[in-house]
Amino acid sequence: MSAASKIHKATWCAFRNLEQYRTKAKFSSSAIGTRNELFNQEQRRQQDAVGRIEKIEIRYLGLPEDVTLLMNKHISTPYNCAQHLSEGHCKRSALALIDGTIPWDMHRPLQESCTLQLLPFNVSEPHVVNKAFWRTCSFLLGAALHKSFKSEANLQLHSFPGPNIKSGSFVHDIVLSSQRWQPSKSELRAISAEMVKMSAQDILIERLDVQQELAYEMFKDSRYKSEQLPSIGKQNQGRVTLYRVGEHIDISRGPMVASTRFLGKCTIGVSHKLANEGSSGAFYRIQGIALPSGYMLNHFAFGLLEQRAQKLNSARLPHEPFEEPQQMQIS
Amino acid sequence: MNQADVSKLISQLRIVVRPKNRNLKNPDGPEGRLLKLRKTVTALVKHERIELYYNRADEARGYAELLISNAIRHGDRHKPTMELADYWLLEKQLVHKLFKVLVPRYDNYNVSYTRMYKAPRDYPGMYYKKSVLELRGNPYPTLCADQTQNRNLLHNVLLDEARKEFRREKVADLANKLNVATEAPKKTVEESSDTIKPTAI
Repeated sequence: MSAASKIHKATWCAFRNLEQYRTKAKFSSSAIGTRNELFNQEQRRQQDAVGRIEKIEIRYLGLPEDVTLLMNKHISTPYNCAQHLSEGHCKRSALALIDGTIPWDMHRPLQESCTLQLLPFNVSEPHVVNKAFWRTCSFLLGAALHKSFKSEANLQLHSFPGPNIKSGSFVHDIVLSSQRWQPSKSELRAISAEMVKMSAQDILIERLDVQQELAYEMFKDSRYKSEQLPSIGKQNQGRVTLYRVGEHIDISRGPMVASTRFLGKCTIGVSHKLANEGSSGAFYRIQGIALPSGYMLNHFAFGLLEQRAQKLNSARLPHEPFEEPQQMQIS
Repeated sequence: MNQADVSKLISQLRIVVRPKNRNLKNPDGPEGRLLKLRKTVTALVKHERIELYYNRADEARGYAELLISNAIRHGDRHKPTMELADYWLLEKQLVHKLFKVLVPRYDNYNVSYTRMYKAPRDYPGMYYKKSVLELRGNPYPTLCADQTQNRNLLHNVLLDEARKEFRREKVADLANKLNVATEAPKKTVEESSDTIKPTAI
């Protein structure tokens, strides 16, 4: 009898899983599916376009010793270089530094011979990594919001301003179809939980440079993104940089940290209504605060930071007209 | 009534000591165990930082602490302490080091004299956990870099900015209060004259 009940239980569970899967599939609408499909195609195309493999010399500077690595042009990434060094280097390095000045994503193929430094969060001069981390947090917040809202809420991500750690919070600006959305504490906690879930899943953050036309096609259903694309393309010779985490794709200048694993403590603290948008929608600014994983901070100090993160961030507002066209690019 | 205060009879250690000792598997029995520990304590006093298996390090640590603590309490004119030092330190020149170097160093300490870290074990290799045992105040570079002093780390940047903002608000508050105070006397005089009048009538 017990066996029978077990089988029944198993089938029931499978059925429920299937149902969940179905609802999920319905929710993660076709637009996201096609966007990801286009992303995959372009990624594959770029990989195939490499053609004949050429070698480049990468001079690694740092612990345990300086070495020269012979890597593949347009294929090998800083992460591959780290794999030649040790597992610890692979796990700890959040960002790479090329020629001592240019920050480079860990999973972005190297273009030519250069020197390479791998940056964990506890280097003595961590400005570059901190900035990349803050930007990544804004980006991940977008992904978490996408997962948290039902399709009825009509969530549209607008953009996120450049990372400014001193402001005390990272930001993502969104548009909702409601004009008086007041998130409760538990709702904000649910969004924070989505962030934490993502960090537990250890998802790679992928980067892809695409032509402006392709970006148009990918974001044709998103009104605000397609409005932003021309100015971004103009600044960058018609190229647009996209980032993907899981299924979520967004436009960003980069660089970002290598994986969601680096996100440690995280709180989404507040949502400020900025302005009405159209007849029924409104701009909201979602703010949060996060620390890289492995950073210890006692709850009182973190509480102070959380309190400060609730004040409205003074970064440029999304509905304000741009003063200078040069600054139009979202970060 | 005339009993001595038991807690003062032996040195109180500043580390956590297990209620039961470890036998440290050895063909020579308890004697062999003690010889092992004597070697470890000697090495610790000699080199000031040693890397070894966790069990042996943790066991030897208590004896090293006790030895240093007694040396500080009783000095080098105390026969039992001298015997203790003679027993635990296999190389006799280290007895001099104990009384002339370590005792002055630890005289004013209010924390333990030794420090123990967990160390990574070899993989693949012996399963036993490893550790690093060291005397405090040794001349080697620290094993754990102190991250609290680096003001550029993310949490320090955030905390510094929060502190600055807090001060800015305080100053603004103070300025507001001063403004109110400078404007207030006139008002209070008027008000007080107003309030006094009815009572006078």
